Amino acid sequence: MAIRYRLIIFFILSLWCAGIFLEWFIRFDDHFLFAFPFIQKTYLLVCHRESSKLISFYTGETLTCARCTGIYLGLLLSSFIFLFRYYNLIPDIKFLFLASVPMFADVFLSSAGLYEYSKPAAFITGLLLGSVGFLYLYAGLNNLITEMKK
Amino acid sequence: MKKYLSSLVCGFGAGVLQIVPFLRTFSCCMILPFAAFLSLLLNQKATKSREKITTKNALLFGIMTGLYAALFGSSLEILITLITKHNDIVTTFPELQRMVENFPVGPEIKKEVLTLFQNVRTDIMTHGFSTVYTISVFVNNFIINTIFGAVGGIVGAQVINSKMNNQAG
Repeated sequence: MAIRYRLIIFFILSLWCAGIFLEWFIRFDDHFLFAFPFIQKTYLLVCHRESSKLISFYTGETLTCARCTGIYLGLLLSSFIFLFRYYNLIPDIKFLFLASVPMFADVFLSSAGLYEYSKPAAFITGLLLGSVGFLYLYAGLNNLITEMKK
Repeated sequence: MKKYLSSLVCGFGAGVLQIVPFLRTFSCCMILPFAAFLSLLLNQKATKSREKITTKNALLFGIMTGLYAALFGSSLEILITLITKHNDIVTTFPELQRMVENFPVGPEIKKEVLTLFQNVRTDIMTHGFSTVYTISVFVNNFIINTIFGAVGGIVGAQVINSKMNNQAG
């Protein structure tokens, strides 16, 4: 995949991830405050936003829960790595299933009350799935570009 | 239309999951991509196709699933708000007020933001309808659901094709 496409993917993911930390940006520009409730609603579409599961930082909280933040930052991390290194791989499906096992196990076990919900565990398992999931998105976009060029 | 029947079914499911008060607590970033993936699977079952899915086709199925989810999700949300005269803007307003007060911004901006949302809240509580709210719901749902549906379609095609490769090998 050409570098321009990889840059576009990285830019879109950066923008999405920056939105998660919108409360942090408000201190630099007051006008973000007008967009805040609308952006909050945008992220509500893709995350339950349960207040006890949001990550707190010194000026506020993330707009998605720890697990979703992990998934999105995982996608961003992989897209950043792919900026510098070009991998033309078609990953086997089993890697996606393997990467999703810790996350679903954490969801199931903590929901069943076998152990208490932990933000770091939710974040890390999400990060793992997001980073591996990017390989499939990347391979798919690569195929799409090839198909479009035919 | 018939070609995208599976998208319609899965999009409706995802749209409902996103807005119904109790069900929305299960809402997560996986719902829409999963709905797009499911629509591809359903379409394959319905057409009894054993051929690999092209990414272009998967993208279209994903986008259609997202569009249907946005259409049903937005319409139901507006309808529920109209009937109950209550929604999350009304519920979370005190929390928003508290948050805005704590932000390190000027008092004029805080006042403007709170007035804007107080007006939306009042409209919803008295008429069950607010133009600003309706536009924001439609714009939000159509953009986000279409993107997440497209991602689900692209990744879903990779998963299905990879599974087919494994079965053939």
